[in-house]
Amino acid sequence: MAVKHPRDPQDIGYLWPAVFAIAVHLLIVLFSLVQWPEGEAEPDSSSIVQATLVSTEAFTNQAQQANDESAAMEAADESVEEPDTSAAEEEAAEEQAAAEQAAREAAEAEQAEEQALEAARAEAEAQAQRRQEEAEAEAERQQEAEEQRRQEEAEAEAEREREAEEQRRQDEAEAEAEAERERVAEEQRRQEEAEAEAEAEREREAEEQRRQEEAEAEAEREREAEEQRRQEEAEAEAEREREAEEQRRQEEAEAAMQRQLEGEAQAAAEAQQAEQAANSFLTIVKRAVEQAWIIPSSASDSMSATLQVRLGPSGEVLTTSVVSSSGDSNFDRSAMQAIEQAAPFGELRELPTEQQRNLRQFNLRFTPGDVR
Amino acid sequence: MNDNAMSIPHLIMNASTVVQLVMLLLTVGSILSWIVIFQRGIALRRAQKEYAQFEETFWSGVDLNELYREIPADDPRHGAEHIFQAGFREFNRLMPKTRNAGTVLEGVQRSMRVAWSREEDRLTQHLVFLATVASASPYIGLFGTVWGIMGSFQSLSMTQQATLATVAPWIAEALIATAMGLFAAIPAVIFYNRLSNNAGRLLGKYEDFAEEFHAILHRNLQGRDSASS
Repeated sequence: MAVKHPRDPQDIGYLWPAVFAIAVHLLIVLFSLVQWPEGEAEPDSSSIVQATLVSTEAFTNQAQQANDESAAMEAADESVEEPDTSAAEEEAAEEQAAAEQAAREAAEAEQAEEQALEAARAEAEAQAQRRQEEAEAEAERQQEAEEQRRQEEAEAEAEREREAEEQRRQDEAEAEAEAERERVAEEQRRQEEAEAEAEAEREREAEEQRRQEEAEAEAEREREAEEQRRQEEAEAEAEREREAEEQRRQEEAEAAMQRQLEGEAQAAAEAQQAEQAANSFLTIVKRAVEQAWIIPSSASDSMSATLQVRLGPSGEVLTTSVVSSSGDSNFDRSAMQAIEQAAPFGELRELPTEQQRNLRQFNLRFTPGDVR
Repeated sequence: MNDNAMSIPHLIMNASTVVQLVMLLLTVGSILSWIVIFQRGIALRRAQKEYAQFEETFWSGVDLNELYREIPADDPRHGAEHIFQAGFREFNRLMPKTRNAGTVLEGVQRSMRVAWSREEDRLTQHLVFLATVASASPYIGLFGTVWGIMGSFQSLSMTQQATLATVAPWIAEALIATAMGLFAAIPAVIFYNRLSNNAGRLLGKYEDFAEEFHAILHRNLQGRDSASS
């Protein structure tokens, strides 16, 4: 019967379907790869713990002494517990003191209110008196000012008239004086013309003398000029040599400068590396503390506490102390517990020894922010 | 550094061997299922077009003998044409041998049923593979996830401090296996339903056509019987 051909006209083969299928998968992979980096940076922006280095040498020295004393881990653990208890006692004492102060302040506040009422009445009276006095004083001032203005105007008019008369007299006297001056000037002109003719004769004689002198002078000048040229050439050669030497010196100096600059650049690069290492360590610490921090329910968004942390040589926490309290003891305690939970920071040992000293002491700032 | 460690390619490259094998299996299954989806989709659309064309020429009033002669014997057709060819050939062969109409109709029906079952096999080939991928790949992905989470707990027991950071990459990597399983299964399920529905409708049309052709032959035989007797 109907024996089937292996080739089916409806069958389009498997080449094109395979190409389509692989294209679909490549598109999906590309899409996932392109989309990924964009959405990633957002969650990192809201870090709730901020770390700052405390790079004062006095502190690091203290930390070193502490390290020497507590070479063993047990000693370190004890030193961690001690500040806790002392801190708790201090907090209790502070709370009592605060309660007493509050009572005192309340009593003082009542007295202050009564005093304030009396003072207000007295001030009102004083102000009324002041206003009356000021009004009277202003009226007097205005009267005086008007009188002064009238007197000044009258005096000014009188002076103007006097000055005008004096000017008229002076003008007349000046006109007479000018007429006399003109006569004298004409006589002078005549005398000057006579003198000018005499001078012209003298000048002719002088010119002849000058020509002779100039000829002699030119001969001398040529001789001098030749000598000068020789000297100048000699000087120029000497100068060229000097300049060449100076250039050499300058080049050497520049080379030395460049060497110095390169050294500085290297030092700067090393400093940058150190900074980067410090930053990465601090971010690790930050993350660990963030994760370990259980934010108490009493905390509000605006609260923030700064704690100072001192580390031992292997990254264990020696002491934590409150630098600036949030005002809520629960909040401060939770932050301290977070640091103890996150410890030890073993990454400290991976850093170079010089930086370890600097990084053993840093501040952590706790802000719940928009987490809750 | 931490951001890079949590990216998907990094997670896949760092996964354990078993989980990587599961991922590879799922990727291959997904690619094969998409090949089947494209291949079957195009083939079914062509078959529908061919059936529509043949039905039009069949009902246009053309003589059945001419229609049969137009189909060359060495170039077998498919779909309804194949059923028509098989039925008509059997009819022509049986007609000179027996005068019993019942025997002829029985032989024609049998040969058409054989042709129809061949068409069914041809239309629904590979659809079973789609069904397999659709039902099995979520389980395979789940297996990868369970294995990965087992590994995460083992690594958790090694560390002294149990933090999220030690478990998170393992779990993320393990969950990728489940995601890939679902990624392979969802299109396979959707297209299996769609393609098998299309093939079933087409086969129903073939069956209708076979019945109609059978009725035409039956009518012709009745006329011939009464004329001869």
